[in-house]
Amino acid sequence: MARRNPMRDEIAIVGVGSTEFSRDAGGVSPAKLGAQACIAAIQDAGIDKSEIDGVVGALEPGAPRANQMSAILGLNDITHHSSPMPVAVFALVDAMTAIFSGQCDTVLLYYAFTRAPWNSRSAAQDPFRSYLGGMMGGGLKAPPMPESIDPSAAYTAWAARYIHDYDVPRETFGRVALNMRANAARNPKAAMKTPLTMEAYLEARMIRDPLCMLDMDIPVDGADAFILTTTEKAKKLTKNPVVVHAATAGMVGMNDEDQLPSLARHGQHVVVEALKERSDVWIDDIDVFFPYDGFSIITLGWIENMGFAKPGQAGQWMIDNWDDELGCVMIDGRVPMNPHGGSLSEGASRGTGHLREAVTQLRGDAGERQVHDAKTALIGCGGFFFNSQGAILKRL
Amino acid sequence: MSEPVSDAELVERFPWVQISHDSKHHFRGWLDEKLLINRCADCGNWHHPPKPVCPICWSENLVPTEVEGTGTVHLAMFLRQGAPAPGIDYAKGPHPVVAVDLDGTDGVRFSSTVIDLPISEVVIGLPVELDWVERYGHPFPVFRKREG
Repeated sequence: MARRNPMRDEIAIVGVGSTEFSRDAGGVSPAKLGAQACIAAIQDAGIDKSEIDGVVGALEPGAPRANQMSAILGLNDITHHSSPMPVAVFALVDAMTAIFSGQCDTVLLYYAFTRAPWNSRSAAQDPFRSYLGGMMGGGLKAPPMPESIDPSAAYTAWAARYIHDYDVPRETFGRVALNMRANAARNPKAAMKTPLTMEAYLEARMIRDPLCMLDMDIPVDGADAFILTTTEKAKKLTKNPVVVHAATAGMVGMNDEDQLPSLARHGQHVVVEALKERSDVWIDDIDVFFPYDGFSIITLGWIENMGFAKPGQAGQWMIDNWDDELGCVMIDGRVPMNPHGGSLSEGASRGTGHLREAVTQLRGDAGERQVHDAKTALIGCGGFFFNSQGAILKRL
Repeated sequence: MSEPVSDAELVERFPWVQISHDSKHHFRGWLDEKLLINRCADCGNWHHPPKPVCPICWSENLVPTEVEGTGTVHLAMFLRQGAPAPGIDYAKGPHPVVAVDLDGTDGVRFSSTVIDLPISEVVIGLPVELDWVERYGHPFPVFRKREG
């Protein structure tokens, strides 16, 4: 494991742009949403588009690739472009390494999301999304068998194992959902702001028992974009650059979803070890915490594997750190968890929402949900199998 | 033993899964109602799903080896909705999906459903054994509760 971190604090995020996240953007293509977010990020950074020489756009169904976005925005003389896999820190690390190694100076990083026909009834009725249906199953003549433990089903299967191993009630998962919903109510961009009670959680429709629809992130239309450059250049652009202190991916060899040896050792553990090696700060030093919540079980994993709680104790830890007035976790009465509402309630953004809110908080731009004097943010992105990642962001 | 089927016919008979040169033996085994799990002839390691080399010693000397199919449920969930498949009606009740620790394979799991058992009895730790049903006109491996 690399213990070096020559990029520490050397790459900065100087621009963010985001659309609203909604269950239905109504007649707007993912390319347009992506373009709107990109233009907003470039304007936020206060640069001319000619300064962009790197484009990193994630491989999302229906989203424009980096070359397509460059054509849409008329970006010329690009010397680095790529379309990494979701989730967000893959793209972040790709952009950082490209800048640090001199492949380019300034990167436009974007993700655009569009509800797919297989996870949204209204999307299934949209003729302009019908082509996405063919992307499911990779061209097979019949859908995969229900017994295929694909990544999304696997989180439910391992949630069942978590319940078995630690004898926890469903309320443990419900508390994750409640935290996100209460926070989303303070985020104007969030898709789901209706207040949520534990009673409503327990009665919500089961999708794959033991997880219900409120344990699974909410498909949205929307887009996020970021501008990254060297910290040296960032200091000339803005008074408050946010730097990436450390970032990493993490994976174990036996990562086939149903072959993972146990919850005691998977990608999140590798991320935590790598971040600790490469960072000057850890969980006692942070002001805002961003555990991924594509599924509620993933959040419990990050809480425990980051070291906030012992294995099986994330539920009790949330109770111990619960702010009754705000209706959400405030670690030690001070540090919120996904103050934007996370993927469960702001919308399924593959972690770009977490990254954007981290930047927003560290710049002091978070309005009523602003953490006082936020200097350091910890992001645990992705799940257990092949997309675990982490990042620590700091206000310079 | 049934007649060996051609690669083209094998792909035709399993329209719901991507079969490769690495996994074709496993799925041919299904047609004979045999569950074949890759074992390394050099180091003895078992693995699944089928891979092109042994993940432990990198040997290509892999032997698709028939297993008895007894084991213990390690993961269990119940689909209230899911992909359509012949013989599965989610409206009639949750469809169980389990990952089973296969006996004698040093921890390899095989995922399928459990048949002929109330779902309240489908629990982690349940001893199970292999059986076969028919789906899309080919044998499909499933588990049932192992008595005794």
